Amino acid sequence: MKTSHIRNFCIIAHVDHGKTTLSDRLLESTQTVQRREMKDQMLDSMDLERERGITIKSHPVSMLYKHEGEDYLLNLIDTPGHVDFSYEVSRSLAACEGALLLIDAAQGVEAQTVANAHLAVEQGLEIIPVINKIDLPGAHPELIEQQIEDILAIPREEAIRASGKSGIGIDDILDAVVNRLPSPRWSDNPDTRVLVFDNVYDTYKGVICYVRVFSGCVKPGDEVVMMSTGQKAIVKEVGRFSPKMLPEKELGAGRTGYIVTSIKDLADIKIGDTITHAATPAGEMLPGYKEVRPMVFSGVYPIDTSDYNKLKASMAKLQINDAALVYQSESSVALGFGFRCGFLGLLHMEIIQERLRREYDLDIISTYPSVIYRVTKTDGEVLDVDNPQFLPDPSEIDTIEEPMIRATIHTPTESIGDMLALISEKRGICDHTETVDDTRVMLMCDLPLNEILIDFNDRLKSITRGYGSMDYELAGYKVSDLVKLDILVNAEPVDAFSSIVHRDKAEFKGRALCERLKDILPRQMFKIAIQAAVYGRIIARESLSAMRKDVTAKCYGGDISRKRKLLDKQKEGKKRMKQIGKVAIPQDAFVKILKTST
Amino acid sequence: MNSPTISKDALGLYVHVPFCSHACDFCAFYQEAPRRGDIDRYLDGVARELDLVGLVEPVETIFWGGGTPGLLPAKDLKRLGETLLAHLPGPPREWSVEMAPSAVKPDKIEALRELGVTRISMGVQSFNDDLLDKLGRQHNRKQIYRAWAAFRESGFENINLDLMFALPGQSEADWLADLHTAMDLGPEHISTYCLTFEEDTALWVKLSQGKVKRDEEQEADFYEMTWDALAAGGYAQYEVSNFARPGRACIHNLNTWRMHRWLGVGPSAASQFRGERYSNVANLDQWLAGIEKGIPVRADVTVLDDELLATDALIFGLRMNVGVDLGELVQRFAAVDFSPLRAWVNSMAEEGLVEYTDDSLRLTTRGRLLADEVGAELMDVLCS
Ligand SMILES: Nc1nc2c(ncn2[C@@H]2O[C@H](COP(=O)(O)OP(=O)(O)O)[C@@H](O)[C@H]2O)c(=O)[nH]1
Ligand SMILES: C[S@@+](CC[C@H](N)C(=O)[O-])C[C@H]1O[C@@H](n2cnc3c(N)ncnc32)[C@H](O)[C@@H]1O
Ligand code: SF4
Repeated sequence: MKTSHIRNFCIIAHVDHGKTTLSDRLLESTQTVQRREMKDQMLDSMDLERERGITIKSHPVSMLYKHEGEDYLLNLIDTPGHVDFSYEVSRSLAACEGALLLIDAAQGVEAQTVANAHLAVEQGLEIIPVINKIDLPGAHPELIEQQIEDILAIPREEAIRASGKSGIGIDDILDAVVNRLPSPRWSDNPDTRVLVFDNVYDTYKGVICYVRVFSGCVKPGDEVVMMSTGQKAIVKEVGRFSPKMLPEKELGAGRTGYIVTSIKDLADIKIGDTITHAATPAGEMLPGYKEVRPMVFSGVYPIDTSDYNKLKASMAKLQINDAALVYQSESSVALGFGFRCGFLGLLHMEIIQERLRREYDLDIISTYPSVIYRVTKTDGEVLDVDNPQFLPDPSEIDTIEEPMIRATIHTPTESIGDMLALISEKRGICDHTETVDDTRVMLMCDLPLNEILIDFNDRLKSITRGYGSMDYELAGYKVSDLVKLDILVNAEPVDAFSSIVHRDKAEFKGRALCERLKDILPRQMFKIAIQAAVYGRIIARESLSAMRKDVTAKCYGGDISRKRKLLDKQKEGKKRMKQIGKVAIPQDAFVKILKTST
Repeated sequence: MNSPTISKDALGLYVHVPFCSHACDFCAFYQEAPRRGDIDRYLDGVARELDLVGLVEPVETIFWGGGTPGLLPAKDLKRLGETLLAHLPGPPREWSVEMAPSAVKPDKIEALRELGVTRISMGVQSFNDDLLDKLGRQHNRKQIYRAWAAFRESGFENINLDLMFALPGQSEADWLADLHTAMDLGPEHISTYCLTFEEDTALWVKLSQGKVKRDEEQEADFYEMTWDALAAGGYAQYEVSNFARPGRACIHNLNTWRMHRWLGVGPSAASQFRGERYSNVANLDQWLAGIEKGIPVRADVTVLDDELLATDALIFGLRMNVGVDLGELVQRFAAVDFSPLRAWVNSMAEEGLVEYTDDSLRLTTRGRLLADEVGAELMDVLCS
């Protein structure tokens, strides 16, 4: 197919603004899938993602569309919905020439939508604003059009009013994709350049790359090379998603689809990499490739130390499907042998931990998450510290720097006071505010990454009653007065609860953690102390009184087995807890403590 | 002394009578509606089950529990008792029968007297008509008094009252009043059961739906109050839930808690007998079918070994106030390695949960309130 008849586009939308529904509509309307097949085919994502209402990955879909008597190939490329995966978002955008910017007609523009729209514009994409859910009684399209002009500087006439639910505007959207979006760019480069914007692992085929061919052509049998690593491979299969995998003879310039090569290891094909022919390599990679580095670190340990090998095998299996996950073995005095894992963000971390529990049936605990601190020692040595345990003795520390972020926050005007208070509580500095419309303000601020890790987003949502939103990018390192905060349970330090915090907040946070632990920990047979300490000095203390009663009246005559079973259950329950000294700490304590507001 | 002497070889006979006129919300015992045909089949079944067992061992105690044994008409009580006597080498030393206050009648009392029943256990639960009503019990305070008087007048001089506490809607004052009302009657024995939320009961469902709440702190308060009040009234505690006048402890139950031997007859009845521990199937039809074929249907069959018995003797023994004579235990289960026990006893003593004097291990009052926790630990310590 001629490149003039191909369009590559994506949909940018805030969670729940109707992206899934609209995509399904487009597929249906172009007869790519029949309505009744829809469910099975479209919703083949992991349970966990579905439960959380986020799609991490879904593959691109190619649709055939007849417009004014001519056949067009429209490729819809999905973008992940969460900030943790912003690099994947940027690579998906890079595969397109245009984007549908979906805005809920009742909710209006959200911060992340704006951020993604800016990203798209930066990458040279043409934007088609779509005011969705126009069927809703609470829809006010005029207001949204105003926002589109004010915030995004797009003329209001360009907006299409639509409803994925009722089907309004679907044809307008398809026509606009054909008429308003440019045909594939950079197609006349003499060499073959193929962008890998995502990949998945398949047990039978190996790595399946989701690709956009910019110039040239790939077909089975070609010898290709990954430009970032120089790794060579033979192409086994190419094709498009329709939405099932449909092999083709070749993928030419402008096309979006998939490539399967001889490479079996996900880690060997980097997202954002350029594939070219080994014999006639391109001179230059496609722009924007970046090595993704984890931002959040946490130790993962088996509750039962004999599960270490099982955990190890499970981590390896998870990594096969998720190249963004990194890990290496580490050990802890209290927890034994485990792994230090690096994640893209807190959501990524929770997903991995949940999968270990559910899919691999492992009882694990994870340590308080940390970012990477840069420590300069008095002797000049510079260390990257991602585990509070390895923070040098304070006498050896010259400075500690912490990673910062640049955040864009949207908030309703009435919540601005509370938002600013939250930002300053989190040691942030707000240097720029902008009025979005009558009711909303946009704040730009610098915040330490470690302050937004745990509960920032939840607090933001509760302050703004769900209307606020945030987007951020990393913004370098900054010197800060940081200390290590330890938690002692019955006088034993529990390194899983240790964290690195700002000196001014240590006491407050120490107290909050102790109070929270007091609520979380089950009472034991004796009284125990819960303490917070900074470099050995106790700064907060709570005591958990002893359990008073655990006895059952026994009225069932001689049924010893029954009683035994109950005690057995009780005993097993204890086994699933982590024994630290004399104290049994339940698994969920390590998760719940994260939800502590500080 | 509160503990009658019982030999290690003592055998108790438990008969489960699986009929209730109504299923109580909190109850997990096996029971059926009392249909005439079922009662007849049941009585036939008991006779046949005893034939199968072929008892040669002397039986020290009999306990009829339920269900509601007292629901059986006088002639059935008589038939059941005569069936037992016909299968035993001799009459028992103690013979208890559970009676519901609403079903007490003169002809039943007479039948029990004639059989030689020595002990009556009445399911009073509460003297408070409101609470009785809420529990869905079939009796009221007046009926309790009437039943009580009838038993006493007929000459029963060993009577137990079952009471329950920590019931939804029961205040501490309500409970104290019940305890005093019970003591004022002057029974020889009182059992006080903290309400247990048993799985598969209507109450459990209510609990999981949040319609009723559990308050462990309050349960602990209730326990402490109970123990104090009964002690002050001259009822010495001899087990977590059991109190008696001197010499009136229930021998049948003591025998079980000391991990001796007992034979259970009837559906759902549990046995520890002839080297095995098992429960009869908790279903009248299946139980009967098995018995008729001569192959009893049993659940949870465990072959007894010394380690199991020793652990259970400790777990259940510690629930009793006298505790466990460790010297005797070591002698009785010579094959068991009790060495891990020492360190455990020391640490528990340090926490003030157990006392160890004159070779005898006992729970302290605080320890007794944590008896399940202690039991779970013991299983861990001894069965590694
Ligand atoms: N009224 C109305 N509801 C819609 C429309 N599109 C989606 N929804 C509803 O909005 C919610 C989120 O839709 P979904 O497509 O899953 O959003 P996504 O999170 O952006 O993929 C669902 O409850 C949909 O039923 C629409 O056009 N009109
Ligand atoms: C085997 S039951 C049967 C007695 C007789 N059917 C009755 O209800 O009066 C013996 C005693 O156990 C107690 N009981 C039964 N279920 C209980 C529960 N869930 N929690 C606490 N005590 C219970 C009651 O006090 C009852 O009297
Ligand atoms: S408590 Fe007694 S009367 Fe009520 S169902 Fe249970 S056995 Fe029957």
